[in-house]
Amino acid sequence: MAVDPVCKMSVEPAKAAAQSTYRGETYYFCAVGCKAKFDREPEKYLGSGKPR
Amino acid sequence: MERMTAPVRGMHCAACVGKVERALASVPGVESASVNLATEQAAVVFDPARTDLARLRAAVAAAGYELAEARPDRVPGEAVDGERAAREAAQRREKLKFVVGAVLSAPVLLGGMSHVLPWVPGVLQNPWVQLVLATPVQVWVGWQFHRGFVHDLRYRTASMSTLVSIGTSAAYLWSVAVTLWPHAFMRHGAMTYYDVSAVVITLVVLGRWLEARARGRTSEAIRRLMSLAPRAARVIRDGVEMDVPTAEVRVGDFVRIRPGERVPVDGVVTEGASTVDESMLTGESLPAEKAPESSVFAGTVNRTGSFVFRAARVGSETTLARIIKLVAEAQGSRAPIQRLADRVAAVFVPIVLVIAALTFMAWWLFGPEPAGLLALANAVAVLVIACPCAMGLATPTAIMVATGRGAEFGVLIKSAATLERLHRVDTVVFDKTGTLTVGRPVVTDVVPVGPAVGVRAAGGAAAEASGEMTAADEILALAAAAEQASEHPLGEAVVARAKERGLALPPMREFSTVAGQGIDAMTTDGRVLLGNRTLMDARGIDVDVLAPGVQRLAAEGKTVIYVAFAGQVLGVIAVADVPKPEAKSVVAALKRLGVSVAMLTGDHRLTAEAIARQAGLDRVLAEVLPEDKARAIKVLQAEGRRVAMVGDGINDAPALAQADVGIAMGSGTDVAIDAADVTLMRGDLNGVVTAIELSRATIRVIRENLVWAFGYNTILIPVAAGVLYPVWGVLLSPILAGSAMAFSSVSVVTNSLRLKRWRPQHGS
Repeated sequence: MAVDPVCKMSVEPAKAAAQSTYRGETYYFCAVGCKAKFDREPEKYLGSGKPR
Repeated sequence: MERMTAPVRGMHCAACVGKVERALASVPGVESASVNLATEQAAVVFDPARTDLARLRAAVAAAGYELAEARPDRVPGEAVDGERAAREAAQRREKLKFVVGAVLSAPVLLGGMSHVLPWVPGVLQNPWVQLVLATPVQVWVGWQFHRGFVHDLRYRTASMSTLVSIGTSAAYLWSVAVTLWPHAFMRHGAMTYYDVSAVVITLVVLGRWLEARARGRTSEAIRRLMSLAPRAARVIRDGVEMDVPTAEVRVGDFVRIRPGERVPVDGVVTEGASTVDESMLTGESLPAEKAPESSVFAGTVNRTGSFVFRAARVGSETTLARIIKLVAEAQGSRAPIQRLADRVAAVFVPIVLVIAALTFMAWWLFGPEPAGLLALANAVAVLVIACPCAMGLATPTAIMVATGRGAEFGVLIKSAATLERLHRVDTVVFDKTGTLTVGRPVVTDVVPVGPAVGVRAAGGAAAEASGEMTAADEILALAAAAEQASEHPLGEAVVARAKERGLALPPMREFSTVAGQGIDAMTTDGRVLLGNRTLMDARGIDVDVLAPGVQRLAAEGKTVIYVAFAGQVLGVIAVADVPKPEAKSVVAALKRLGVSVAMLTGDHRLTAEAIARQAGLDRVLAEVLPEDKARAIKVLQAEGRRVAMVGDGINDAPALAQADVGIAMGSGTDVAIDAADVTLMRGDLNGVVTAIELSRATIRVIRENLVWAFGYNTILIPVAAGVLYPVWGVLLSPILAGSAMAFSSVSVVTNSLRLKRWRPQHGS
């Protein structure tokens, strides 16, 4: 399971609504809105949440 | 300059059109005038400062026709009913005239044939009885020919009417003279020709009636177009919703459209979203997505969503109204053709008159006593024999048989003149979508990124039963499963192909449609994304690996659908409208007939050219706006081409009406069918080849018929003139005249019937 870095929900990668690659890491999101937020300011959401 | 369209009554031939046009053009202040025989309309552009309707009507009346009440040149249609009633009345009149003519002519004919039919009662041979029977036929039934003769005389031309009028009048007047003063004439063996006058007129009227039955219905196209816009619209004014008649919608009104409703006027969407079926205007089968800022058009059909739009163009300004106007204009501007029979008559009449005059002079100068009487008798005989009664049947019978035969091959031909136009066609223009192509998208390619992954369709007996799938099938199966519930034509294409291949579809849940992007669905193993590049980008799916393939597909004019599963792109499905299976062979067959072939479409050049290549077309007119289709046909006509247009959509209607011959697909819209001259019932393009081949065969038969019709009589002209008299003492007798009529009629009808066995050369 992966964690959506924006809303902190746990997301099953295969079923993720959207995904994004940032600095070689792939992040998974529960919804397109979370991805859009993340793509605008990735650093803001990566401060505490650790990608898996 | 003002433009006006008004119905013209009393026209019955191509020559009439020229006369009315010349009459109108001769009025000072008239810039141009064009008259349409089919719709019986005159379109006049004139300077209102220099002339007015009264003067135009006077000019037309002086030419012997009637310019009926004009209506302002805006959306036509109200007058359609009245015109149709008038046309039907004209048909009934022709029929009545034929019936009366036939009833009265039969006894006259029998009386004239008493020398071969001994059982004919003696009373019918009485010239007074014959006079009573023949007079109504000569005067009332034949009135249109005498009137036509007077018109022709005024313009120094000749048509069939001239020939019929001269011949029958000569026969009739001579016979009356013989009846009134039998002693003066009979002593010298003069005989009556009542049977010739009555039978010729009756047969020619029969031909007229047969053709009149095939005419009409051209203005139906306009009526149907008008019915496309709904009668009422739901407008919001000052926050209050109310239903108002469409005609009262004003620019700036907000109009609410609910699912399934038709759009009443043109405008711009302000709120809501939906897809709208615009196929009637654009011919495009894919419904158009509508969101705020999108334009919507009157006559189009809303599908599932609901929206509000601000009216921008109303009344005669809407796209639909402009198409209606274009159809009306195109119908009004079509150049008339001079009918074959009239062309022959135009040459024949002066020759006959000269021969009659020479005959009269020769007998007058060199003939035996009483020279004056014999000179007159023989001049009359020349005129009588020169009027071939079979001439009236030469065209109608061939056309009747040909249209019947055409119908058996699924080709419906609307009028006689159509066949005469069609055989001269040298360019065929096809509309693309739905005419040359199947009109709906079909899966053409499936391009996988890599080998099949196998596990993807897992879960359930269906997947196991299908065994190992190829990568392409796997993509199709996933896509079809996601699109199962879709009503989108692209989705339907994908599902149809998966069914064809007998693929087992993995179970899906949680479908959702992403407006303007595609579909998002879930399998037990992962998320399926199906849609365009925008969808892939929004979901962070990397599709760069497919770039070269996608570029190639786009260059072929295909629409690309990406398929992603569990965050990975699996491949693309390419979808495109494809040419009908027979398209290529039809184009080849047309070229063999010496006809050049072009395609006309509003589509992008790229897509259009891809289709053109597949069908083997010479010429592509792409990115043509619906309003400009008729103009494109005009351009081809200005190059001196005779153009047949093949189309199916409402947007094709102006072009169908503009073309020399409009051919509608029977699978198409009623508007197109009404605007066209030919309908292909089976929606099969082979019908175009069949129609052209049939028209050529028919014209050949008509020409032969004219030879037969004129042939017997022409041979007898010297006899009538008395060439054989010096040697054998033979002059024209009613027996000879009667035999010529009988033989030529039988020959013509028999020859026409040969068309019953006609079949297309082009294998269908």
